Amino acid sequence: MVDTTLFIACTAVFLAVTLYLGYLGYRQTKNADDFMIAGKRISPAVLALSYGAAFISTSAIVGFGGISAVYGSGLMWLTALCILVGVIIAFVFFGKRIRRIGRQLGAVTFPDLLGKRFGSPFMQYASAVMIIIAMPLYCAAIIIGGANFIDVTFGIDRNVAILGFAAITASYVIFGGLIAVMYTDAMQGVLMLVGLTVLLAITFAAVGGPAEAFTALSGLSPHIPMELQDAGLRSWTAMPELGSIAWLTLVTTIVMGVGIGVLAQPQLTVRFLSARDDRSINRAVAVGGPFMLLTTGIAFTVGPLTNVWFWNDRGQIALAAAGGDFDQIIPLFINGAAPELFVAFFLIVLLAAAMSTLSSLFHSMGTTAGYDLYKHIVGRDRPSKRIAQLGTAAMIAVSVALAMSMPENIIARATAMFMGLCACAFLPSLTYALYGKKPSAFPAKLSLVAGGVSWLLWTVFVHAAEAKALGISQALFGRPALLGPPFTAVDPLIIGLPAALLALAIGLAVERRADAPGKAEAA
Amino acid sequence: MFGIEDPQIVLAYALAIGSTIVCMIYGWLKRNEAD
Repeated sequence: MVDTTLFIACTAVFLAVTLYLGYLGYRQTKNADDFMIAGKRISPAVLALSYGAAFISTSAIVGFGGISAVYGSGLMWLTALCILVGVIIAFVFFGKRIRRIGRQLGAVTFPDLLGKRFGSPFMQYASAVMIIIAMPLYCAAIIIGGANFIDVTFGIDRNVAILGFAAITASYVIFGGLIAVMYTDAMQGVLMLVGLTVLLAITFAAVGGPAEAFTALSGLSPHIPMELQDAGLRSWTAMPELGSIAWLTLVTTIVMGVGIGVLAQPQLTVRFLSARDDRSINRAVAVGGPFMLLTTGIAFTVGPLTNVWFWNDRGQIALAAAGGDFDQIIPLFINGAAPELFVAFFLIVLLAAAMSTLSSLFHSMGTTAGYDLYKHIVGRDRPSKRIAQLGTAAMIAVSVALAMSMPENIIARATAMFMGLCACAFLPSLTYALYGKKPSAFPAKLSLVAGGVSWLLWTVFVHAAEAKALGISQALFGRPALLGPPFTAVDPLIIGLPAALLALAIGLAVERRADAPGKAEAA
Repeated sequence: MFGIEDPQIVLAYALAIGSTIVCMIYGWLKRNEAD
């Protein structure tokens, strides 16, 4: 157990720096533009670090790190996708266009961008409603991720930890807006880089060098739980058998769900609206790539190797040592394998990871509630800093209540669900908005509805992980899921995204056909 | 390689590191380009 005085001292320094940066943000936040899109003057390093820190949360480190201890090194495909899609495609092919188009239209939020680009209040309203409903779930998972580590380390009541987390983060988001969020995110991102790099060194020191550690991990294959072996997992240094349940879960939910979902996340998109110019985005790519590699890559390397350490130290694999709760694997490993000083420091890193993502989500939900929805309800078009602040406070309260009522083993699942929904509902419409010459609303509306509805139906009635937990299929049809394996392991993204793309294509074809007589007459 | 049984895992590592290098080169080459 870490020394309480040491931890309190580290936390005090971290919180003082966080609140100071929040104060700087508050001082620079004069109007609604500053609050919502950071006055469009954010520098490249802050943009990249803040983007990365907002994307990589405790969920990536604790949740997905724990999952990689269960499913093995195959999660490195998620790291590759995070860099290829989450940085290269997101910044180069989406980011610059989002910034330029957003600036031309005067957009201040993600729903606002869609609404103005398509000239459609429905697109703004519908995407805002989706965000308001789905984002608190993701938020709650992030809060739980941070609270878990405090719980394991100090035995502090989980609800007290949740409240403390939310209160501190809320204090600078509500007053400092996006400037405070991005400044604190950048500092927290640097902490994450340092902490994870040291964690990698500690891990290799504990289990041997890379070759020795992975050889030992391969040697543990016979100890993979029978349930996972039956699902197709044969080794922690190999991909599961192609098409098996384990393969479908790893590839469709974990790798694709998160790796593709990153492209259309509202809290990340808004960062491009805050960039000073295209040069800033170009430079940010050089920082974003290494950040993703050093954060997710280390988490997904350390995760599987915890099996070696637990086996050598306790004669158990990681999942067994954590009592079957994979969210506890990384905290337990660090508490057992790392020096006390690092445990205290890493706790701060996890707080930083949680706070950076939380603050971004709080801000995104708040501006959506306080601008996009408020605009429709009250009929007021101009963004107001005060209303956005009130919206942020209200959405924080909802997220905290949800975090207190959600199960603990939900971090990675909720993250994948949120990102999957974003990809299904928003990605085709956003791509069309950015690359269509004169994008029209009808195909976008069709795509948003088809993507969102098909994702929801597959989640509620087929995908076992959620369908069983929700119990709606059981209540209506007397069966936990309407289809059997292997469909129960196919992530809703694999159904929802093609459905949304198909709907977009149908919408475009219908519109083209409707336009054809007019064009013929004109000719 | 490095005790890793499956070349697909080695490929994932190689792709992640290669993409990172591409990011750094792109950022450097385009650092003053406004597009």
